[in-house]
Amino acid sequence: MSSENEEATAADAVAAAKQASSRGGRLRRLGKFVGGDHRYVLLSTSVIALIGIWLSMQKRTDMSFLAPVYFVEVAMYYSLVAWLILSAAALVTKLMHWRDYAERSPFARNPLRTIERIGSYIVVIITCVLFVDRVVMGFASVTVHAIEADSIPQGGLAAAIYMVYECRDLFVTGILTTVELAVFGTIIAFFLALLLATLRILTIDKPDNDLVRFFKVVGANFAKLYSTVIRGTPMMVQALIIYNAGFAFLRGMGLSVTEINGLWSTFIAGLVTVSINSTAYMMEVLRGGLESVDPGQMEAARSLGLSQWQAMVKVVFPQGIKYAVPGLSNELVINIKDSSVLSIIGVVELMFEARSVAGIYYRNLEVYLVAAVCYLILTMVATWLLNRLSRRLDAPRFSNTSESASAVGE
Amino acid sequence: MPLANKTEKSEGHVGEPLVRVEALRKSFGSLEVLKNINLDVMPKEVVTIIGASGSGKSTLLRCINLLETPDAGHVWFHGSDLAAEHVNVNRLREKIGMVFQSFNLFNNMNVLGNCTLAPVTLKKASKAEAEETAMRRLEEVGLADFAHADVNTLSGGQKQRVAIARALCMNPELMLFDEPTSALDPEIVGEVLGVMHDLAQQGMTMVVVTHEMEFAKSVSDRVVFMDNGVIAEEGTPKQIFGNPKQARTREFLARYLDD
Ligand SMILES: Nc1ncnc2c1ncn2[C@@H]1O[C@H](COP(=O)(O)OP(=O)(O)OP(=O)(O)O)[C@@H](O)[C@H]1O
Ligand SMILES: [Mg+2]
Repeated sequence: MSSENEEATAADAVAAAKQASSRGGRLRRLGKFVGGDHRYVLLSTSVIALIGIWLSMQKRTDMSFLAPVYFVEVAMYYSLVAWLILSAAALVTKLMHWRDYAERSPFARNPLRTIERIGSYIVVIITCVLFVDRVVMGFASVTVHAIEADSIPQGGLAAAIYMVYECRDLFVTGILTTVELAVFGTIIAFFLALLLATLRILTIDKPDNDLVRFFKVVGANFAKLYSTVIRGTPMMVQALIIYNAGFAFLRGMGLSVTEINGLWSTFIAGLVTVSINSTAYMMEVLRGGLESVDPGQMEAARSLGLSQWQAMVKVVFPQGIKYAVPGLSNELVINIKDSSVLSIIGVVELMFEARSVAGIYYRNLEVYLVAAVCYLILTMVATWLLNRLSRRLDAPRFSNTSESASAVGE
Repeated sequence: MPLANKTEKSEGHVGEPLVRVEALRKSFGSLEVLKNINLDVMPKEVVTIIGASGSGKSTLLRCINLLETPDAGHVWFHGSDLAAEHVNVNRLREKIGMVFQSFNLFNNMNVLGNCTLAPVTLKKASKAEAEETAMRRLEEVGLADFAHADVNTLSGGQKQRVAIARALCMNPELMLFDEPTSALDPEIVGEVLGVMHDLAQQGMTMVVVTHEMEFAKSVSDRVVFMDNGVIAEEGTPKQIFGNPKQARTREFLARYLDD
């Protein structure tokens, strides 16, 4: 492959010097010429063939299914080599007849052209087989050995698999706790945030009596203060304060430590922390969504005699929340990740478990990589689900449109 | 657009005015938008307000249903002062329909939903009754076929007609129109003016801010010319368009009637 490229560059210097003076034009013409109609068939499959050859040179594991049929692999290996030679030959003839390549080169005409196409499929298949034999079966072999091992293996991958297998219960509880914290925390926070965002955007209205006015002013300022304080302090600090404050409060009520641990568990304290923290951020997201609803919507509703509250509930909320859906979804993803700081108060979530496992085997790097992969999978799944959900939320609108289209047709 | 000439219904508006605006003032910050406005609107009367941009026409209209709170002065509706503490603005607005320049249809509902939201929410009617009324109103504006259409798929003229039907579903005693045709393409202005003309014929009391001089001339009983926060001149269409007394009225009209 690389020799092909060198030839191409050398020949290009000759060919292009005759044709063009500008460097950019020359390079572009070279790319076009080499690529030509062989772009996919010869060049990219040569890369795939090289990968196959490299895979074939790797050590076979005990689960390799090609080991008993060594001659098959030899045939496959030389097929790939033959393919590289064929590609190189095609490129050379192409360079020799660079003016009238399409007419003169046998590679550009049948039957060689058909053979090239079929050959390219075969190359892809061979490389796939080699990939399964070396990579997939290799991974399976490492896994089986790691699981059967009596003590932690040396290799990084094997060690990670060994630890995941030995401590699977810890990881499963950790993941479940993390998911519970994030999901319930986000749901609770959504409703609290809706309340606070409403308090924040309600304005004094003529029909309001003094009591309502008082609560509106207090509510708006409370929401503002809440947002400033919560968003201005780290969640780890909030967790420590909330947990200890709850503990001290219950202690002051005369409860014993065991009673408190039943009532105010670290999980409950963690859930309260996530909810309180996320409320502040979700409130800002919701406020943004509600404020981006055209004020004319509110005015129209009020002009019909709806109260401010009725107009909010029936007209502004449904539109504003829709605008806020992407930001709200993002909060769930953030909570999955940020709940990791709760291990500081001893919430038994994924990070806490990862730390315990690291403490058992003294293999920090591998454990935390495993934790990272777990978080990544969780956030990817959450993102995928939320995307589907937000598409579903838009669905009534689409069906409405088709309905109206039929109405126009009548 | 060809409108039938006014019927004789305008003759003899007697008795109590439906709306009385008295010494009304309104400022936005240091900008004095309304300076001592006095205006009476009799039942079944159609009043058009004309005037240059920024002269305070919209603000006056919005003060009548208290979308803007006046700084001073009074607005009387049916003889009760709207500024008084005990007046419930929400109850009041049920009787005053408003049509906006930018339609302001509720985007989260279909046409029927727009028309039934207020009657159902305010318990003026059951859902079935409200839908029946809405269908009748939509029929009047020629959009019964679009009852289940998404509002975002309608043309501007259709949107504005839905907005009128929506306001009518509350059986208002007064309709306020704030430049209802200004956002529309010239060729569909007529469909909205036609609906408003029918409404005037049925005896609806209307206050219309407009730049459609033809409409002001042929449909209204009285034309009010506003300039710089005051009512510069008012009178019958014949007086205002035929023989304006004020120089600034003549100046303003010259710009519109030339073309
Ligand atoms: N909510 C507001 N805050 C501040 N200034 C305002 C507000 N509403 C209106 N104004 C100002 O008051 C003045 C009068 O506005 P108004 O909308 O009543 O004029 P108008 O006669 O309706 O004009 P147009 O023909 O452009 O609609 C304008 O200068 C406008 O900028
Ligand atoms: Mg205006």
